[in-house]
Amino acid sequence: MAGKIQTLSEEERAHLLPLLRNAQWAEVVGRDAIYKEFIFKDFNQAFGFMSRVALQAEKMDHHPEWFNVYNKVQITLSTHDCGGLSQRDITLATFIDQASLM
Amino acid sequence: MEGEDRARAATARPGHLTALQEQLVWALLESGLSRDVLVQAVGELERSRAGAERAEKGDGESSEEGEMDFPPPIFRELEKLPPDEASKLRAEVDRLLQEDPWQVAKMVKSYMQQHNLPQREVVESTGLNQSHLSQHLNKGTPMKNQKRAALYSWYVKKQCEISQQFTNAKHGLAPAEEQGEETKKGRRNRFKWGPASLQILFNAYERQKNPSKEEREGLVEECNRAECLQRGVSPSQLAGLGSNLVTEVRVYNWFANRRKEEAFRHKLALDTSFNSQSASSSNATIPPSPEHGVKYSQQIPCEAGSTARSSLGERVGRLVVSPVQLEPSHTLLESHNPKLVSGSGPLPPVSTLTSLHSLSASPASSQSLIMASVPGVMSLGESSLLIGLAPTQSQTVPVINNMGAGFTTLQPISFQQQLHAPHQQAIPQHLQGHMAASPFMATMAQLPCHMYNKSESPQYHPSGLLSQAMVITDSSSLGTLTSLAAVRQILTSDPDEETDSPLQDDSLHLQSHTPVPASTESLELYPSSQTTERHQSHLLSPSPSDISSYMPTQMVSTAQ
Repeated sequence: MAGKIQTLSEEERAHLLPLLRNAQWAEVVGRDAIYKEFIFKDFNQAFGFMSRVALQAEKMDHHPEWFNVYNKVQITLSTHDCGGLSQRDITLATFIDQASLM
Repeated sequence: MEGEDRARAATARPGHLTALQEQLVWALLESGLSRDVLVQAVGELERSRAGAERAEKGDGESSEEGEMDFPPPIFRELEKLPPDEASKLRAEVDRLLQEDPWQVAKMVKSYMQQHNLPQREVVESTGLNQSHLSQHLNKGTPMKNQKRAALYSWYVKKQCEISQQFTNAKHGLAPAEEQGEETKKGRRNRFKWGPASLQILFNAYERQKNPSKEEREGLVEECNRAECLQRGVSPSQLAGLGSNLVTEVRVYNWFANRRKEEAFRHKLALDTSFNSQSASSSNATIPPSPEHGVKYSQQIPCEAGSTARSSLGERVGRLVVSPVQLEPSHTLLESHNPKLVSGSGPLPPVSTLTSLHSLSASPASSQSLIMASVPGVMSLGESSLLIGLAPTQSQTVPVINNMGAGFTTLQPISFQQQLHAPHQQAIPQHLQGHMAASPFMATMAQLPCHMYNKSESPQYHPSGLLSQAMVITDSSSLGTLTSLAAVRQILTSDPDEETDSPLQDDSLHLQSHTPVPASTESLELYPSSQTTERHQSHLLSPSPSDISSYMPTQMVSTAQ
């Protein structure tokens, strides 16, 4: 693994979080994480989305916390190694948003 | 859950992807997998799974390495890892097994010719007997299903390999190079000139005998292009040619050899005209001993006394059996050389007798070429024994053995074997005309012609005529004719244990019980020769009818 990952700095947060908030990502209360819920037409779409995300996560070696029931997918992103948000979460969040649109 | 109903409905469509499958596939593709990688990966996965299954079942003949005996150990194609590919191949093999064996044999044979694949490679990887294989491919000798399966498996696999090679060549990858490469065999198949290249080379040779490096390089390009085209492949996928790739060195060597040949031929021609008048044997001892060259006729017109070196050809028909020559004639011929023509001094150039002669523009030149390489022939004077070779495939390399003194009693016989039908017909008659001269020859004439007609003359099959050529022996060896039948039987039964060779029908029914012992010695030579059927230039004729070509030789030997 790479060197110790670091949480986002204040500047970065100030810069990035508004963007995420615009994209419907919410900040989780009580922890340094972001959360979003996706709803799809049906299970297939949802799971297809999850597959894409999963493949990307593997590639990045950064995995989401998520829950799926039929066409709904709830995702929480945080970085365990540094106990909070990191750049990886931001990257993955962006990717997730893209994937959900496909 | 409500989803379950939908799921069940979704799976009700056979042959189509379910929506989820679609999604998953799509996800995979989007994740950076290319289609090809995906397909390959699928193959590999299936392979490993199937392999595991099969290991349990203990299936001997599938992708596991074959065990000894059953299936044949060298069943390399059985190493096939990919189960899905393996099953595809097996299906293809089964399909071929259903077809008419002869048709498939023709296909396989022409494929081998097209890609210049040596039989040796097939033999190594299938465990088939080479003689049997050759007979099956050329003459339609029956082959049992299991063996045919092995052959077809090799064939199918080879096609894959070759198409892969060509594809990889496109991508600039070095292909796996499986063509007959076994580490034990020292890697590569021996290079062989294809007919297309030979044509180009001969044309160039006519223009200029000594091309410069640039010209040679040009020829390299041309030849490779032609070879690719012959194989039906785009001219720039050179890697697919594998061991038959033409290089400057090879072109250079080819020209050098042709120049040597020509010089030798020229010299022989001079000697010939001189000697045809004088009956004495001047007997320049011709150095070329058998060691010299498996490749060329080793006839060495020796002194009468030098038995060991006597030219093979002495009473032998013009056919040359190079492997036989390897043990220089002494085994086959007695040396009666009194009337032997003096040989030419220098060794006959390499592959003098390459069938390529037939490719050259002028029959006349090939004619003389042949004569040249056969010192003994000189006594024939201008009569040219032409053994034309199939213009197409150079697989058959007529090796002409020299005949020695015996020629004095021979009528000049010239035949040209061309693949063109008209010629073919002319030949038998031609032969007979000449043959009539001596009684035994007349009888002999039947045989060859018979055989000739019988033998297949597909595009690449030049041999038939050669059998006719053999007949030249002198009358004193009439007795040896009787051995022909016996020998032939012995010979023909040798390679093919399964059936009686069709050739047997042709054998002269003289006295059937001739000195077998005498002929056995010559028999020994055969096994070695048989295996070299497809080798360049030493063999007289590649086809199984070679056996008959060997006959005269045998006959001569028994005359001792």
